[in-house]
Amino acid sequence: MSDNELVAQVLAQQDANAFGELVRRHQSQVRNFLRKLSRDYVLADDLAQDAFLHAWDKLHTFTGRGTFIGWLLKVAYTTFLQSKRKSNRYSEVMTEVGNEADVRDSRHAEDFDELSDLDKFLAVLTEEERAVMILSYACGLSHREIGDTANLPIGTVKSIIFRGKEKIRESFGIEDHKYG
Amino acid sequence: MVSKIINMADKLKDEEDRKLESLFRSDSINDDGFSVRVVSRVRRRIWVRRLSLPIALVIAIAVGAKPLLQLAEIIPGLLGSFPVEAIGLDRFPIDGLPQMSTIIMGAVLLATVMMIGRMLEDN
Repeated sequence: MSDNELVAQVLAQQDANAFGELVRRHQSQVRNFLRKLSRDYVLADDLAQDAFLHAWDKLHTFTGRGTFIGWLLKVAYTTFLQSKRKSNRYSEVMTEVGNEADVRDSRHAEDFDELSDLDKFLAVLTEEERAVMILSYACGLSHREIGDTANLPIGTVKSIIFRGKEKIRESFGIEDHKYG
Repeated sequence: MVSKIINMADKLKDEEDRKLESLFRSDSINDDGFSVRVVSRVRRRIWVRRLSLPIALVIAIAVGAKPLLQLAEIIPGLLGSFPVEAIGLDRFPIDGLPQMSTIIMGAVLLATVMMIGRMLEDN
């Protein structure tokens, strides 16, 4: 059964089992995307659960025009941005009351040397560049799909990828094409 | 045609792109009960949605019963001060209507039956 057929079944019968099949099919890609984006496995898995619940709520908005995974990654990206906005507000409030110790997130206090090459590359990118690069190179989405997912025109997607690659090359003194 | 050209352009990857892909690629993550957790949360959400309307109805009736009863006592008096003949209310069999308490009991019973029906439907 295709993704679109499962979606139709979920919408027609509020079928949680059919939705479960969709979750089983795509959980790995969604969790990988959020893990790379947030660089925090626990947070990423919590966000992935929330993203699938949002997907359940908004499934009627999936028109079938693009791929289901593209639409799902868009929901996951929106969930990530919303959570980030909330945690930023939390940080602001904690800073205002002078409780900076609570703001510090120990999960991000890893030694830079212990990070993988990918983590180091991702660290030099802005959040938007990171998302676009991950969608392109880790999730294998086309530029058009990335544009739909991140609400960006295709031209902007291409220039972000170009800029991202250049930043990675410059930051790590990589000559053309010599990664890893 | 234009979209086909764009998709073709997407597929034309150079060596740098391929190296980045292998760097970004990661092993697929085992489900490890993840989908079961999501589906159980979805089921809980379905239940909450199904129950929320009947529960809200029952609560509204419980809260509004007394004022409604008091209103029901006042209305006949108020109707007496209007020219009921003009709108034909004198011919309306008000005494024949069921008592407000009966209506409330009926509504509560209906809501309960609806809830039980949906529970049975789901099992």
